[in-house]
Amino acid sequence: MIHYSIVPLDDIYQGMDSFSPNYMEITVQGVTMQVEPVGGFQARIVRLHSCNPQDYLNTRYAPGTMITYSPDLSAT
Amino acid sequence: MAETKQQEPATEEGKKNPALENIQQLGQTSTPPTGESNIFCLTIIGQVEGHIVLPPQNKTTKYEHIIPQLVAAEQNPKIEGVMIILNTVGGDVEAGLAIAEMISTLSKPTVTLVLGGGHSIGVPIAVSANYSIIAETATMTIHPIRLNGLVIGVPQTFEYLDKMQERVTRFVTKHSHVSEEKFKELMFKTGELTRDIGTTVIGADAVKYGLIDQVGGIGEAIMELNQRIDEKRKAAMTAANGVLV
Repeated sequence: MIHYSIVPLDDIYQGMDSFSPNYMEITVQGVTMQVEPVGGFQARIVRLHSCNPQDYLNTRYAPGTMITYSPDLSAT
Repeated sequence: MAETKQQEPATEEGKKNPALENIQQLGQTSTPPTGESNIFCLTIIGQVEGHIVLPPQNKTTKYEHIIPQLVAAEQNPKIEGVMIILNTVGGDVEAGLAIAEMISTLSKPTVTLVLGGGHSIGVPIAVSANYSIIAETATMTIHPIRLNGLVIGVPQTFEYLDKMQERVTRFVTKHSHVSEEKFKELMFKTGELTRDIGTTVIGADAVKYGLIDQVGGIGEAIMELNQRIDEKRKAAMTAANGVLV
């Protein structure tokens, strides 16, 4: 991949070796998404995996938004 | 991590009852929604993030979120125009060009507004719309692409780099009024940037070089977009009338 930016590459990739995020995949109201748990039942949305383009217009599911989720035990 | 702001065109909840009310009261299923924008505003800020998830100190715009948003904007009948606001320092070439290609091929009117900065890969994104506007103080840095990672010192490396650069140059010259010679001259200029070759183009200069169409702000951008939406509506009306007659 080629990075074309005015920010020096050292600054962009700083902390890359220690950067190991703990992502998990959950489904919220039918929308599958990748989230980063931040403790409790709160998580920060990383990206959506939905195939419905309209989901991407929903500001509640924008990357960086915090969501509250609870484990669904009925499926197991 | 990524911050994208956009207006929400429609939520599904609570839509059924108003629709029913409309049928009962007005004899039609949908009425022009009040307070709902017909413009979709897309902000591209920070780094354009590509295939590698960048460490958290970077403020990024994720292309895998932007692309479906553009698909949704194209498909959603309530959205009549797309406004792209840029304040980016550049980013991944593939991701940036993907966004630029998506914007340039939208059938709905598009206007870009460069605020603050539209650097490096932000340049093709800035010129991708039907009409581009730059704020008076906004800057665009045009500089050569650099290779990172393992670089083998063979002629093929240079050829590859040249090809990658050509993609950016070709897109920019195709979608703006800048000539290839002028763009390359700006790209390889020495003595302008402290630690690099290239040029920083500020506001009016971008217009002078033909890169951007106009100097202005949000007022001009919305006015231009509304004008283009109106023209498109009128064209659709006359086309429809022509078929009927």
